[in-house]
Parts: sequence; structure tokens; C-alpha cells
Amino acid sequence: MSGTQPIREEDLHAYVDGQLEPARRPAVEDYLAATPAAAAKVAAYAAQRNALHAAFDARAAEPLPPELDLSRLLETRLARRRAPWRLAAASAAFLLIGAAAGWALRGATLVANEAPPMARFAQQALATHAVYAVDRRHPVEVQAAEREHLVRWLSNRLDRDASPPDLSSIGYHLIGGRLLATERGGPAALFMYENEAHVRLSVILRPMAPALHAPRTEIARGETHLCGWIDNGLGYAVVAAMPDAEIDRASDLIRKERDRAG
Amino acid sequence: MSGVIAEIEACIPALRRYAAALLRDRQEVDDLVHDCLVRALDQLHTWRQDSNLRAWLFSILHNLFVSRLRKNKVRGTPEPLDNLPDGVAGMPPRQDLHMESRDLMRALDALPVEQRTVLLLVALEDLSYADAARVTGVPIGTVMSRLSRAREKLRESVDGAGKARPVLRRVM
Repeated sequence: MSGTQPIREEDLHAYVDGQLEPARRPAVEDYLAATPAAAAKVAAYAAQRNALHAAFDARAAEPLPPELDLSRLLETRLARRRAPWRLAAASAAFLLIGAAAGWALRGATLVANEAPPMARFAQQALATHAVYAVDRRHPVEVQAAEREHLVRWLSNRLDRDASPPDLSSIGYHLIGGRLLATERGGPAALFMYENEAHVRLSVILRPMAPALHAPRTEIARGETHLCGWIDNGLGYAVVAAMPDAEIDRASDLIRKERDRAG
Repeated sequence: MSGVIAEIEACIPALRRYAAALLRDRQEVDDLVHDCLVRALDQLHTWRQDSNLRAWLFSILHNLFVSRLRKNKVRGTPEPLDNLPDGVAGMPPRQDLHMESRDLMRALDALPVEQRTVLLLVALEDLSYADAARVTGVPIGTVMSRLSRAREKLRESVDGAGKARPVLRRVM
């Protein structure tokens, strides 16, 4: 053992706690073998660790009471934030971080009714994109090949013109669309697009309160960006895991197309 | 940032265990963990992503616990040993294991709070010494000395209780 540092009190703790540098381990073990008092100490400390676990591990294994349910806590926070919609939307996006990570959203009433319309819409749009854009086989219910049927169906259900915007000039072609349900029991429409790199972009249309307007607003959640606005009672959201600039170009196109049509 | 909520959720059982070891009242334990989670969600933007989320959560819990102690809202210091009901101290030992565990609890509760927290963070929650220092806001050398004192006190108590109780302990 010549040349090694003397064994100190810290080494005994680190040995018990599994925090000893591996290189030092043999020296400590030699010391313990030669020093019964130190070995007794180490054995007692290890027994304490076991006793603490025996006493308290059961608590860690108990099911969580409702007040420690994170999804509920997040929901309460969301409801409290009635003020700027950006904040509410940020909370909404925040909920989705967990959802995207496979965390189950167990709260039944995820969306607080007090949240501003744009926040509710943004939350729905982000959730929609998170769920359907990753689905390689069934992202849509009606394929772009049946465009006429798709437009007729969604226009009927939304009770207004629901044609998919043409985004081909910026490299996105339509995959198809589907009908969505809102948390208020109303209909909304999803159009899904894809570019050459197979990046998917969602355009969501949602009828809102008549004559409702909201300015164009952008939120980012990780790599996913959303641009949303409400124009005369119809909400628009563009969502994709693309930079803001790309979402902006798509949003500009949609607005121009609508302006021409209107 | 992705998955941070799931990571927090994964830490809740350990936070609860730590709180249960500090406090005894079940409702107080869950109240403390609840406040910790609310604060963590409020302050999530202050968490540096390259740092240990678990240690960060324990820091929040620790600070809440300490400030509660200061406000005297919880019984951080349990009753002195001689105030314990007869059912505990006066009962003949049934099973060694049971007795040892009870003695350990009594000894744990009798530790000064700064020793108790360090011991629990390290021995129960497996925090590194550096993380335990960060959580409790003291230098690592202080963590080591508190840990050492806590473990020795526990050892004396349990050893003492294991033998016939009133016997004087030998001094080495």
C-alpha cells in the first residue's frame, strides 16, 4: 500500500455510498480488512442505509394523490392564466412537451374554459399536429386524390368554404385532410402537407365565435412552430417542425389566397 | 426541453419519500411535495438544462422545508424521547428488526435538522456529495462532516437501544 494516500473518514462514507473512485477501492478494502473498528463502522452505515430504505421506500411506491398529479397541476396553472394568450399558449405548448414525450395527458378537462379563444385554438392545433403528423400511415382520413370529396365533406361540416390552401409554390403538397373535434363539441378541419424532405405541415381551420378576430401570433415549442390568427370568426393555424420563416411563408400564402377569395 | 415534464414526474416518488422521512404527518408530506411541484413548474425557466433536474427539484423541496421550519408551521423537531408514549418506549421488544427500525426512526428524528437532511439526501436518495452540497447550500466539506456526525449518532443510538436500554455506553 506504499504510495497510496492514507484512508480518511470520507473514504469510508464514499465506500458505503458507492461514491468512491474505483481506483481507490482496493486500498479501502485492504484497510477495512486490517481495521476491524473501521469495518464495523462501514457495516453500521450500510445497515443504516438499508433501514432507511426499509422504512421509507413504501412511501415512494404509493399511488399519487390527485394533488400531486402533474397533469392536474399544469391544468390548474393554465386556468389561472387568463391574461395574455401567448402565456396561455406557452402553457398549452408546455403540456404538449410531455405529450410528445409519451407522457399521458390524464386530465379529462385539459383546456380551461376561461382560456382565451386563441389559446384554446393554439392548444388544439399543436395537439392535432403532434398526434397526426407523426403517423406515417394514417395522418389523414381522406387522401388528396379525393380532393373534391374532401372539400365537400369538410365544407359541409364546417358550414363554410373549407378548401385546402395551395402551398405547392413553397414546396408543400397536400396529403389529405380530416375532420377534428374541438373541446367545445364543434367541428374543425385539418389539412396535412408534406415537402420533399417528408417534413409535414398542418393547416387547421376552426370556426369560432362569429366576428371574432385575433392578430397573427406565433409560438414555438422546441422545434415545432405555430402561427395562428382568427379572421372574422374562422381560426387558422399553421404548424410544423420548421423555422418561423417557413411557417410565415405558408401563413402569408394562406392569407393571400383567402383575401383573393374573399 | 423535451420530456422535462416526464422527468419531473419520474422524480415525484423520491421527493415524496424524502419528505416522508423529514416529516411524519402524511398530509404535511404531500403538501410539501405539492408546493415543491408548483414552484418547480413556476420556475422551470430557471433550471439550466445541462444541470441535474433531480438535484434541482430536491433543492426546491429542501428550501421549502427549511422555510416551513422557520415559520414553525411543521413540527420539524419531534417530541423529545422521554415524552414518547409508553407504548413506544416502555413496551418489551417484540422483534429485533422491528425494534431496530423504531430505534432508528427515533434516532433520526433526534438528529439536528441539518444533519438529518444531509443523511437522507445521501443515504436514502443517493445524491452525490456535490449535489447534496448544492441542495443544502453548504460546502462539500460541511456535507461530509454533517454526514459523519449523523451516522455516528445513529449508530450510537441503535447500538445503545439494541443492548439493554439503560446501560451506560462504553467510551472507546
